[in-house]
Amino acid sequence: MLPVTAAALAVLAALLAWPVPALLGRARWPARDPLVALVCWQALGLAGGLSIIGALLVHGLAPWGHSLPEAWWSWVRGEAAGDPVRGDHWVTMTLAAVLAVELVGVLALSGYRTARTRRRHRELLELVVAPGAAPDTRLLEHPAPVAFCIPGARPLLVLSSGMVAELDEAELAAVVAHERAHLREHHHLYLLPFVAWEAALPVLPAAGRAHAAVRELVEMRADDVALPELDGTDPRRTLAQAIVAAAGRPGAEVPGGALAVTGGSVRARVVRLLEPPAPLTPAARAAALLGAGLLLLLPTALLLLPAL
Amino acid sequence: MASLGELERAVMDQLWSADGPVAATELRAGLADRGVALTTVHTVLTRLEQKGFVTHDEARPRRFTARASREDHAAELMHEVLGQAADRQAVLARFVGSVNEDEARMLRELLARG
Repeated sequence: MLPVTAAALAVLAALLAWPVPALLGRARWPARDPLVALVCWQALGLAGGLSIIGALLVHGLAPWGHSLPEAWWSWVRGEAAGDPVRGDHWVTMTLAAVLAVELVGVLALSGYRTARTRRRHRELLELVVAPGAAPDTRLLEHPAPVAFCIPGARPLLVLSSGMVAELDEAELAAVVAHERAHLREHHHLYLLPFVAWEAALPVLPAAGRAHAAVRELVEMRADDVALPELDGTDPRRTLAQAIVAAAGRPGAEVPGGALAVTGGSVRARVVRLLEPPAPLTPAARAAALLGAGLLLLLPTALLLLPAL
Repeated sequence: MASLGELERAVMDQLWSADGPVAATELRAGLADRGVALTTVHTVLTRLEQKGFVTHDEARPRRFTARASREDHAAELMHEVLGQAADRQAVLARFVGSVNEDEARMLRELLARG
């Protein structure tokens, strides 16, 4: 009975659209293991997309067979439906197609736009600033304390003169290690789907929440990766000092809208560095990863296995 | 042999320091220490035009101008990095965003306590 499968997928989609991301967003454990939490968010996003599109598709194709692959194949070959086809079947099939095209399309468009903007930034940088001591590092003349990196085949790490003036040697090393961690672990790829889906589904509060959470986790992860590479007696403190110094002295051009958004997550990062929470136990880690795996497996199984 | 990137920077430096439009032959003269051919200068100029950094006039021979000053370009970049533009994700890894006065004070207190 495909309708039961469709209903199960719809319930799953509803859970993944609101309560589950809300729970994960509010949970405290992600700060203890940002990487595992990032995996969970990716699984959640993928499972959410699968289940909502799947629910619509399964409902739409129900008259053609008893499992989605069977019904799909029968529909593709233009066979007559076994059961009467009603208007709602066509509507949900169309919705499934529209949603699938939108999600994939927005993802592709967002990836393309991002690549284009990065290329533009890299061109600007290479033109305006001569390479420094390290070939992939640039010093940009600007009073605001800013550091960032441009990911890509030829990544660039940029420090503003304001940042260099504000921080001491050890703090600067911490900033550079943090940025290099982003580049090495390709954090921009973790963010891409959430950026795209927030753009695709602006009505879904979970999309914005997920994006914000993933952004924060990526920063925490970069902090974690940077720490072992730092010299000095108290690298956690050094990194926390760098964060506070950079966040607390906005340059003249910082727009007001940018301020409030970052406040909470900056604080969370600093607190976490100064009073590190206990890392997740191996059992908790395994449980979280297992949960992520099951989250992906559930809609996949519902879609592929013969109908309930 | 200098890389294209270096040559682009050298040409832009000349255009930025020039008082007005500059012909390709003058640019080559300015790059004499690098021993580049006139065709190379044209290649570099074409690339810079494609990237939108340079324009030329219709005089014969053509003369080239920088579209914006070095400071303008730096400011444009910083504006995008600091701003909350729709494509801010392009520059993923800004080390830390700015916080308001209250938050900054709270953070410093946090640091002093620890």
